[in-house]
Amino acid sequence: MEELINKLKKEVITQLNLEDISVEDINPDSPLFGEGLGLDSIDALELIVLLEKNYGIKIEDPKDGKKIFFSIRTMAEYITEHQKKA
Amino acid sequence: MTNVNAIYINGLGNLSPQKTTDSSRFLDEVNRVQSNRLACIEPNYRDFISPDILRRMGRLIKMGIASSRICLEDAGCKMPDAIITGTGLGCMEDTEKFLTTMVRNKEELLTPTSFIQSTHNTVSAQIALLLKCHNYNFTYVHRGWSFESALLDAMIQLRNGRASTVLAGGMDELTNGSFEITRRLGHWRTKPADTFDLLKTTARGSIAGEGSAFFLLSSAPGDNTYAVLSGLHTFNRKASPFALPRILNEFLERSGTSPGEIDLAVCGFNGDTSSAGPYKELTGSLNSAGIAAWKHLSGEYMTSSAFALWMSSMIIKNQRVPEAAVIRAPGSGAIKTILIYNHYLDLNHSFILIRKP
Repeated sequence: MEELINKLKKEVITQLNLEDISVEDINPDSPLFGEGLGLDSIDALELIVLLEKNYGIKIEDPKDGKKIFFSIRTMAEYITEHQKKA
Repeated sequence: MTNVNAIYINGLGNLSPQKTTDSSRFLDEVNRVQSNRLACIEPNYRDFISPDILRRMGRLIKMGIASSRICLEDAGCKMPDAIITGTGLGCMEDTEKFLTTMVRNKEELLTPTSFIQSTHNTVSAQIALLLKCHNYNFTYVHRGWSFESALLDAMIQLRNGRASTVLAGGMDELTNGSFEITRRLGHWRTKPADTFDLLKTTARGSIAGEGSAFFLLSSAPGDNTYAVLSGLHTFNRKASPFALPRILNEFLERSGTSPGEIDLAVCGFNGDTSSAGPYKELTGSLNSAGIAAWKHLSGEYMTSSAFALWMSSMIIKNQRVPEAAVIRAPGSGAIKTILIYNHYLDLNHSFILIRKP
């Protein structure tokens, strides 16, 4: 799980062009939106594309997004769970 | 005394391949390169834009915001009544990114940021967003007369009393993709050209360039007024040798100026033998005027006349033609009236007339 969390942190930094933020700066349990990294709705779309492109996961119900993208850890858990099912 | 119809250029901001962001310096040191393309000297954008906003911005947007900020500060203007821009190709970097992803991913998995930022009006929109300016906002995308179209709209807004201050600008960026396509069309020199020798050598093709220049235009003079914008004329067809002097004379007559009053003609010579004809024709009909050029300093691009207007405004203010720009020195008297003549591929022609305030 920790390995995936670190990988995800790197991918999020690249995808969202978070120039001033390093892997160490991101707390895996902090909220990605609002507080924490302060991401917004455009970033949410970027993260949906990231999941589909890098992990082959398509989010069918947009309502799930809030839970999945709460933090880096929730993203990692969702990916792991999805990969087990596959 | 304030002329009710006059339009004053009260602020400048120019990002170009030269050191043009500091208005206290005027091309006293020229960036001399040996190349067939020129790139802008870019500032540290964090001085103008906060990092959280900066991360989503493409290069042209950053260039536009930085140059517009410099311009507004120069004019001491916090909130213009209108923002009007002109761009030939818009945000090419984001457009290329978006289209490349579309092809590579077979039209799936498209990210929103580069699409949002690729639209032509993104620069004026971002300037407005950062200023929280809800006033008139317009972008013109008219190939080689995009900047002139923006300027014309600004003049209409000011003369009709719809605005008393207009932030008007022209910008285009050069990307590897756009350079390569236009290279194949034969627009650029096949061998690198020296900045200082471009206009002296005879060959096909020019050097590619880019830039973003903004002007704070106002219906009233300010403490820092550079020049008065007196006239603008555009036409979009090939200029026959016989027609050009007639079109110029008609334009000057409408602007209340005689050819003998032109102290300096700033012309868009770009080193391409195939485009030199109209410039030679025009300068031949203005025997008493000095001649200056700018495209060896900025490179050729669709809105390079914005660089010319910046340079001409600085010439009026400083009463000096930079050595690097001189083709034929003007007379020893004051430089009161400057005519800018530009054409893009002999299809989009423009005259801009400015005077000493």
